[in-house]
Amino acid sequence: MSAAVSAVPAVPPYVLPSDQLRRRLGGFLAVAVFLVGSGAFLGFKPWLLITDFHYIVKLAAEMVPPNLALLWEKTTLRASVAETVAMAFLGTLVGGFAALGLAFFAAANTAPHPAVRAVVRALFQFERATPNLITALVLLVAVGFGPFAGFLALTIGSLGMFGKLFSDAIEQVDTGPTEAVASVGATRWQVIRFAILPQVLPSVVGNVFYAFDVNLRLAIALGIYGAGGLGFELQLAMKVLRYPDVLALVLLIVVLITAMERVSDFLRRRLIGHDTLK
Amino acid sequence: MTTAAGLASERAGGWRRFRRPFLAALVLGALVWWSAALCRVSLDELGPALVKGIEVGGFFLPPDWRALPELLQPALVTMLLAAVATPLGLALSIGFGLAGARNLAPEWLRMPARWLIGIERALPELITLLLLVAALGIGPFPGVMALAIGSIGMLGKLIADAIEEIDPRVLESVESVGATRWQTIRHAVLPEIMPGLLANTIFRFEVNVRSSVLLGAAGAGGIGFELNKAMSMLEYERAMTAILVTLALVFGAERLSDFLRRRVLDGGKLK
Repeated sequence: MSAAVSAVPAVPPYVLPSDQLRRRLGGFLAVAVFLVGSGAFLGFKPWLLITDFHYIVKLAAEMVPPNLALLWEKTTLRASVAETVAMAFLGTLVGGFAALGLAFFAAANTAPHPAVRAVVRALFQFERATPNLITALVLLVAVGFGPFAGFLALTIGSLGMFGKLFSDAIEQVDTGPTEAVASVGATRWQVIRFAILPQVLPSVVGNVFYAFDVNLRLAIALGIYGAGGLGFELQLAMKVLRYPDVLALVLLIVVLITAMERVSDFLRRRLIGHDTLK
Repeated sequence: MTTAAGLASERAGGWRRFRRPFLAALVLGALVWWSAALCRVSLDELGPALVKGIEVGGFFLPPDWRALPELLQPALVTMLLAAVATPLGLALSIGFGLAGARNLAPEWLRMPARWLIGIERALPELITLLLLVAALGIGPFPGVMALAIGSIGMLGKLIADAIEEIDPRVLESVESVGATRWQTIRHAVLPEIMPGLLANTIFRFEVNVRSSVLLGAAGAGGIGFELNKAMSMLEYERAMTAILVTLALVFGAERLSDFLRRRVLDGGKLK
């Protein structure tokens, strides 16, 4: 009997809490402590979601039914929609072109001089780190309220978003075609035009369309801070507490963004599927 | 005769070849013209605007360093708003992601979940925040909630798509030995999507830091609020300090997220 008991093997080591489990538990605990601590520091009270939920219900009740008649009765709204879309479109396009041009100065294989490359790269880095709010607020002071400031802010923002992407894409091109073109005596410009541009164009076009979607959302947000357009209309309706109007505008924004996403998706697929860009 | 016909067809082919790019350029040009008019871009004013811009730039210099100590706490608030909102957003997104996956959720649950994800994707975070502020007043709660809800559009869709792409054999093999739905999720679904999910969550933290600067100005508090306040009180030198603090903050968040990504993930796999 006792012999049989002693024959039972000891608990195998893999049943005990493994190092991995202990490490993960430690990680989870650290994250939990951090969350509770920073929540307390911020005064973030998650139970508000339950105790104050009736305020959310009250607001929702005030918003329903949406004042959809506003959408065709208020004629200035059409201009606001057009302004918002125009801001996003022009900002993306100008920012994209400028970024593509500058990217050749920031890519190691096309930059005229390493110093130029370092300067342009630093510019891109700085631009990328600057939140759009800062650019927009500074520009609103410089050129005054309105869509022009919004357009400039989105242009500068797109430049930061694209610059690094495009110059990285240029650096990663296949060297076969560039060497082939250069070996028959092409100038630097001809190498760019016939060997590099065809390789990076699909990714450039794809990114430009993606950026348009991002910029459309930003154009609305910047409008709230004074760049005009739909965001401004929404801000106005909120200030005077006309919540049925607010809901109608929010619905309009959701439909506009979804529709624009569809359109840009369709166009992107047509363009990139096309041989001329491949 | 053959040459003439060949020439004619070549000419027609040439036109056909150029017609589409030509039309595309025409449409693009018209759109640019129209948008420029709407944005009130005028080249005559660009010169004076540039001069004015340089003049305005002068207002911001030198930065008011005495304001620095008072701006450090708001900066910390901005960072922590994003830090608390990110895991909360992840939890919400996992819920929506599970509910929106075809191979996991029944159709009556999947459709509304996908619809809500789609609507959220199209709703700028600032609007979510303004609505929450209208209901609950300003403070960190609406800020964190707006950021967390804002993650659903991106992370929720990624999760739902990732789950739908799981090899059905993996799911079946776990289900065939009698696993409950929860056990299937725990042992077949989560391990498959975890590495990509963590990488995206860490990226989302970076996005959230930027967003929380923007949201701050509309009532979530933090450095965005201080910046907006300084600008509207025309204290440009103080605003400059806030701008520099924000730049340092965003740069630091980028570094932190790089570090975390390298720490948690090892070549696309969980460490």
